[in-house]
Amino acid sequence: MIDPWIGGALALFFILCACGVVLTAATRGVYPLRALLVFSSACSVLMMFASAAALASGHSFAIDLWSLEGWGRFSIRLDMLSAIFLFAAGLVYLPASLFVRNLVEVRFRGRYPMRRYGVLHFALMASVVLILVANDAPLFLISWECMSVLCYFLVNYEQSARTDIRAGYIMLVMSEAGFLAALVAFLILGRGTPDWSFSSLAGMAQHLSGSAVWGVFLLGFLGFGVKAGLVPVNFWLPRSYTAAPAVFVPVFAGVTLNLGFYGILRLDAQLMSNHSVGTGLFALVTGSITALVGILYATTENDLKKMLAHSSIENAGIIVAAVGASLVFHASGHAVAAAIALTAALYHMVNHSVYKTLLFQGVGEVEAATGTREMDRLGGLARLLPGLSVVFLVGCLSISAIPPFNGFVSEWLTLQCLLRSAVLLSSAVKVLFALCGACLALTAALAVTCFVKVYAMSFLGIRRGDWRHGPGQAGRTQFPLAYLAVACLLLGILPTYVIPVLNRAVEPLAGASAAASLVPPFFSATPENQQLPPAFVDDFHNLGAQTGRHVLPGRGLVVLVRGSEKNPVVFAMSTSYSFVALAIFLLVTWFVATRGSRQRSVTRHELWAGGIPRLLPEMTYTATGFSNPVRVVFQAIFRPNIVEDSRETVAVHFRTAILRRRDETHFVDRLLFHPVGEAVGWLARLLAGMHHGRLNAYVAYTLAFLLIILVLFRLS
Amino acid sequence: MSFWFWHGLKKGVRSTHYPREFESAAGVSPGRPVATEFDSAAEAVVAAANCPADAIVARGSAAEVKLERCIYCQHCHYGNSHLLEWHSDYEWTMAVPGRGKYQPLPTAYHRSLHVIVVDAGDCGACLHEVKQLNNPLYNMHRLGIFLTATPRAADVLLVVGPVSENMRVPLLKTYEAMPAPKRILAVGACAINGGVFGRTFMSAGGVASVLPVDLLVPGDPPPPLAILHGLLAVTGRKSPVLQAASSEGNS
Ligand code: SF4
Repeated sequence: MIDPWIGGALALFFILCACGVVLTAATRGVYPLRALLVFSSACSVLMMFASAAALASGHSFAIDLWSLEGWGRFSIRLDMLSAIFLFAAGLVYLPASLFVRNLVEVRFRGRYPMRRYGVLHFALMASVVLILVANDAPLFLISWECMSVLCYFLVNYEQSARTDIRAGYIMLVMSEAGFLAALVAFLILGRGTPDWSFSSLAGMAQHLSGSAVWGVFLLGFLGFGVKAGLVPVNFWLPRSYTAAPAVFVPVFAGVTLNLGFYGILRLDAQLMSNHSVGTGLFALVTGSITALVGILYATTENDLKKMLAHSSIENAGIIVAAVGASLVFHASGHAVAAAIALTAALYHMVNHSVYKTLLFQGVGEVEAATGTREMDRLGGLARLLPGLSVVFLVGCLSISAIPPFNGFVSEWLTLQCLLRSAVLLSSAVKVLFALCGACLALTAALAVTCFVKVYAMSFLGIRRGDWRHGPGQAGRTQFPLAYLAVACLLLGILPTYVIPVLNRAVEPLAGASAAASLVPPFFSATPENQQLPPAFVDDFHNLGAQTGRHVLPGRGLVVLVRGSEKNPVVFAMSTSYSFVALAIFLLVTWFVATRGSRQRSVTRHELWAGGIPRLLPEMTYTATGFSNPVRVVFQAIFRPNIVEDSRETVAVHFRTAILRRRDETHFVDRLLFHPVGEAVGWLARLLAGMHHGRLNAYVAYTLAFLLIILVLFRLS
Repeated sequence: MSFWFWHGLKKGVRSTHYPREFESAAGVSPGRPVATEFDSAAEAVVAAANCPADAIVARGSAAEVKLERCIYCQHCHYGNSHLLEWHSDYEWTMAVPGRGKYQPLPTAYHRSLHVIVVDAGDCGACLHEVKQLNNPLYNMHRLGIFLTATPRAADVLLVVGPVSENMRVPLLKTYEAMPAPKRILAVGACAINGGVFGRTFMSAGGVASVLPVDLLVPGDPPPPLAILHGLLAVTGRKSPVLQAASSEGNS
């Protein structure tokens, strides 16, 4: 049986975490770092092993831990959903652990205590796993709280600037608020429950009234949405991502962000099978807005780390939009469509973890090599860090959804399931779906702009800045980055193998299997297969979909979305085949260019820059210039506050210097938080009028209050 | 609503049939002065002295014309006396004296020629005429000649202007950035020898003083068809008609 293996791996994981804490805390010199490297890598491998074993066998692992008086029973359970999140976490933690050494040496040596970092690192790792495997509300919430606090410590680890400390506080406040919201959601849900395990909570959910469902949904959605970075509770995210040390950010973006989705899925999708269409639409719209706002700010941001943080918000939006679509489909009885949407969401979640970790590590590497993250000061990095530039390019291609990399598959699926709104009955819902689809399409287009800018402005062109370091430390991190790049490619070209695995988690949630309709078993089409009648398969056979059926294992290498009977459209895509075609085209092109053509000579000349005598770095296209069209087109959203100041010599026409400052308040801050803040301030000022310091008046207040109470008692 | 499409159809093809047929429409070319026989040697000398650009040389009783020096002041055309004969053609591209026979580009370029135009301090006249090649009447694209903005894709460097000091380096860089095989076409009197600007501290006095020119299109400015003839001559579809006088230095 597989159980002992999974249990053993989990137990070993916690033991190793404990060992890691002890060793990093107790040793000195180079040993804490080595312990960190070895134990953390081993732990991430164990995470992957346990989850892979669960996913491969399709068997959930559950065990009761112990009972505490007043808290109920603590139990852990590694079901398919947990396993997917756990696997994604392990996937991210492994390179992050290997990466630790390089960045820690560069940034921390002699400045920050290594040992404290190790302790926090292992504690966070353990709490993340506990969150994922918790099978009851108390354990889940306690681990969640631990995770939040540990995140705060890690974000504030460097404490290098005042703004960083502030960012940490904001994050802590927001996570605590989110935690409280989630806590209230659980309390409403579990009113009168005998024990707090998720299964009995799911049973309780059946009896909730409509308004209570909305309450639980909103509280949970916004509460967990804090970690996931959803509008409007995400304003902490860019700040604290920027403040966090480069070693920690990949984990932050690749692991803890996902925990937000895990919370949302756990609470909403599993505990509440009685969703209405409205809640799903709320999630869909919120997700779409989040995605658009995220990518808008990412495109115009010139700080690499902040840009990636905004882009995390964008991806979170896409994921939540897909989850929302799934809830709507589920509520309106289209289980298969719901399953497809949920598959898309989970797929995108895994993809995002992988490429975002890659990009954040790449940025960390860039920062270590150059000492800056400003795109306007970078440029020409491809020559300085050739290896990094290749893997970073893979990351950029993946995140901008360019085939054959992984982002393409999940974004394609997400958009496809929004297009399936034709099956829905209400036309208002259809219109909303169409609008959200347009929003996400715009987001995808802007994402391409954004990452073209990132890559072109920092890696191509000529060197713009006066950098501190040489390429000294580069090279050691190539392996973890290459590993992530390969993961991006594999997730991109083998969706037909990934989707059945994701389907294991999706099936119990959505109540239907997405695998049969998404990756139909073309290679073994049988007459009794309802989903795919033989005539249909024959059509595809003629199109070449069964090419290589004797060589290739697995289901058909085509991802397919079939319309209904009324709407007999088939959307099919095969990244596997297109990858092969791409490879063949590239090879043929290369062959023709080098061998097949006549002898030609190659001469190299200096860069053509329009014939100007000297090309200064300041003259090249800047990141600000590249993204300016976006800034201008969406001025209504950004609403910048531009201050222009110029110095003239003789007359106004002869300017010697122009100073142009541009202040922006984030869209959400401007629309939501600042008005709320002002309202609170106004209320406080109003109340302050009573506090004028005269003792007699205070005594009068007390007397009046007492009288009111007495009258009330009398009346009731 | 505009009916440009319909208008276009109604008007039919208005482009010149130049390389195929001789274009004789009024005003396509100012013509050019040609060698003229006078009654006496003295009259030829007076005719030569009338030219402000030293483009007319008296040889015996004949007045010969060095077209590459002509600035088209038209003194010898509409002046008071001692006028020269004028031809009304436009095929007067010249090979550069002292550089041997012009070697045209390979035949592959016959119907695909990419031209980069560099304004090396030109007054705007020649550039304006070059621009006319793009219009529907001359339409050089029908001959497979295209303008390009990047030297990386260019086969011909078409220079107008006397090469001012500020444009010298860009001109050299443009030439360097072009892939071989490449040709240089100097268009207009200024580009040939400095024209009215001559050689001064701010003017190099013609392209030939900085780069190896291949063909010259005299005229100040040359009409579009003369430039087109020059471009056709670059590819070898036409041959340079005039030989510049060998005694003439191009500086
Ligand atoms: S037109 Fe003027 S410059 Fe030309 S040959 Fe006649 S007189 Fe000389």
